[in-house]
Amino acid sequence: MTSPIDIEGGGTSVVVDGEPEPKKKPEEQQLVGRSPGQLMWIRFRRDRAGVISACVVIFFFVIGLAAPLISKLYGKNPYTVYADERPELFDSAGVPLQPNGGISGEFWFGLEPGNGYDVFTKLLYGIRNSLMISLAVTVATVVTGILLGVAAGYLGGKPDFWISRLVDFLLAFPAQLFFIASMPVVVSLFVSPRDETPVYVRVVALIAVQWVLGWMSLARILRGTTLALREREFIEAAKVSGAPPGRIIRKEILPNVVTPILVQSTYMLPNFVTAEAGLSFLGVGIVEPTPDWGQMFSKASTELVMQNDITYMFFPGISMIIFIVAFNLLGDSVRDAFDPKSER
Amino acid sequence: MLRFLFRRILGSLVILVLLTVVAFLLFFGMPRDPALLMCGKTCTPDALANIHQTLGLDKSIPEQFWIFLQGLVMGRDNFPQGPCPAPCFGYSYHTNEAVWSTLIDRLPLTLSLAFGATILFLLVGLGTGLLAAWKRGTLIDKSFTAGSMVISSMQIYFLGPLALALLVYQAHLFDEPKYTSITDNPAAWFTGLLIPWAVLSTIFAAQYTRMARSAMIEQLQEEHVRTARAKGMSGRYVFFRYAWRGSLIPIITILGIDLSSLLGGAIITEYTFGLPGLGRLAVDSVQFSDLPLLLGVMLFSAAVILLCNIIVDACYALIDPRVRLS
Repeated sequence: MTSPIDIEGGGTSVVVDGEPEPKKKPEEQQLVGRSPGQLMWIRFRRDRAGVISACVVIFFFVIGLAAPLISKLYGKNPYTVYADERPELFDSAGVPLQPNGGISGEFWFGLEPGNGYDVFTKLLYGIRNSLMISLAVTVATVVTGILLGVAAGYLGGKPDFWISRLVDFLLAFPAQLFFIASMPVVVSLFVSPRDETPVYVRVVALIAVQWVLGWMSLARILRGTTLALREREFIEAAKVSGAPPGRIIRKEILPNVVTPILVQSTYMLPNFVTAEAGLSFLGVGIVEPTPDWGQMFSKASTELVMQNDITYMFFPGISMIIFIVAFNLLGDSVRDAFDPKSER
Repeated sequence: MLRFLFRRILGSLVILVLLTVVAFLLFFGMPRDPALLMCGKTCTPDALANIHQTLGLDKSIPEQFWIFLQGLVMGRDNFPQGPCPAPCFGYSYHTNEAVWSTLIDRLPLTLSLAFGATILFLLVGLGTGLLAAWKRGTLIDKSFTAGSMVISSMQIYFLGPLALALLVYQAHLFDEPKYTSITDNPAAWFTGLLIPWAVLSTIFAAQYTRMARSAMIEQLQEEHVRTARAKGMSGRYVFFRYAWRGSLIPIITILGIDLSSLLGGAIITEYTFGLPGLGRLAVDSVQFSDLPLLLGVMLFSAAVILLCNIIVDACYALIDPRVRLS
């Protein structure tokens, strides 16, 4: 691959046509100092698939953030039970009367068979809630991964041994099984099983269980990177010049592990989204009436939907496929942008 | 080899014991009162006391754990439901059946599902992956790559209900997926599991297409492959003998992970298709807060995962002579 400096910096010599300034050598004009971050940004901008998928991902986050605003403009909310409010729209089984899941000018994405929630706002809020939970899990796991991974790699010795054993141990857990098994237990820590579980407790429990079994892969990668960095000259130089370990970790090591962190977290977030949706699908995550992406899938897999009108199924399904594909493409592009050697 | 196996099995046993401790603490140590969790919303003081009594919850946690461990190794006979022979996980609170026999009962379905799907997705996934790598840069490659990207982003909880709705409920081509023992009726066994296999392997195969393709392309750029080409070996021979062998290592690694998670119970698949396997058992036991059963499923799955890891590591040595097992 051509060095980006040649291409980007090379442009200046074309612009400075004719008389070059006599005092400077031509090479000095061409070389423009760029930080690795700038180089990465330049490479990323040139990757069309990456830019498009980044736009799609940003779009999802924007509609998630703006869900209350959009539904206000649209004039509905995801909690209205239209089966009670407008029974004329449904048949006796609770299936929307109009074809294609009741899609109309009034209900853009139709109505949910059964309770008759408005699918458009339900999906918006579902995306919002799922993304917020997954984002929280990602932040928590990344912070934990950095702390433990860098500590293990930099300190070596006993801390390294114990952190590595902990990682090995947690990786042996059947993750999905652990999630569904620990949800009721974690929830019971906050509320008595006899009481109704508030939504925020379920959210906290969801974040907690995914966090506990989510940080190991990143920690392992960061440990390896830090281990390699520790032996490099610039770290040694910092040590010799008397920098305390805290400063070395913050100023010398962390800037050098930004790449694996970013790449890894773009792969982790969609996994958390699908894992969270899976839990809600199984009925141990977010439950009705709180809107959630995964819970829409569990609604879509009821016989009522499968036997009568499968339109409802496609809204959560297609939107999630678009989201995951875009995020995976974005992850590949971020990796390529950081590492020009990698090849798809 | 034997020494390697011995050491790995020993290590896995240590992890398994630690896992038992953690799982036991999670279920019986962490909740304020595990009995209350199991008893549910319609709990009477009598029922609560009854659970306390049958599960021995009044004893201290270390004592309970010791009794549980003893039961695992030697069996226990102090259950009101009857004696509980050697690997004794106790009795399910909800169904009153012995946990171990329930696990054994559910195992054939999970095994059928896992191995059937594995054969299917390996054939399809590796086949398309190899074809894409062989025809790199052509239309076939591009369409396979794009297709596998989209399909691997699908989830079982979308594709499963979709397949059910289209094939079973709308087109009436198949009956609802149902498990019949292979010894009773092989044909019914096959047709009953066909849709779950197809759905499961579609998603997995797409991942293997991508993986096999990128592993092969990476291998084809290795120097020993280039040397083989340079000394005049046929492209096909180099492709299948040299590159293919090298790309097996990453594939086997992922296969080990996938297979172990399938064998531990393909939770979402079994739930989607209503198949009573280990994964379904786990979901049910969570819904009824049936802690003894849940503990049993969890330890069983963990043991399966550890076993798969050992087998995968042993496979490395068979494929790659550079790997020394010591």
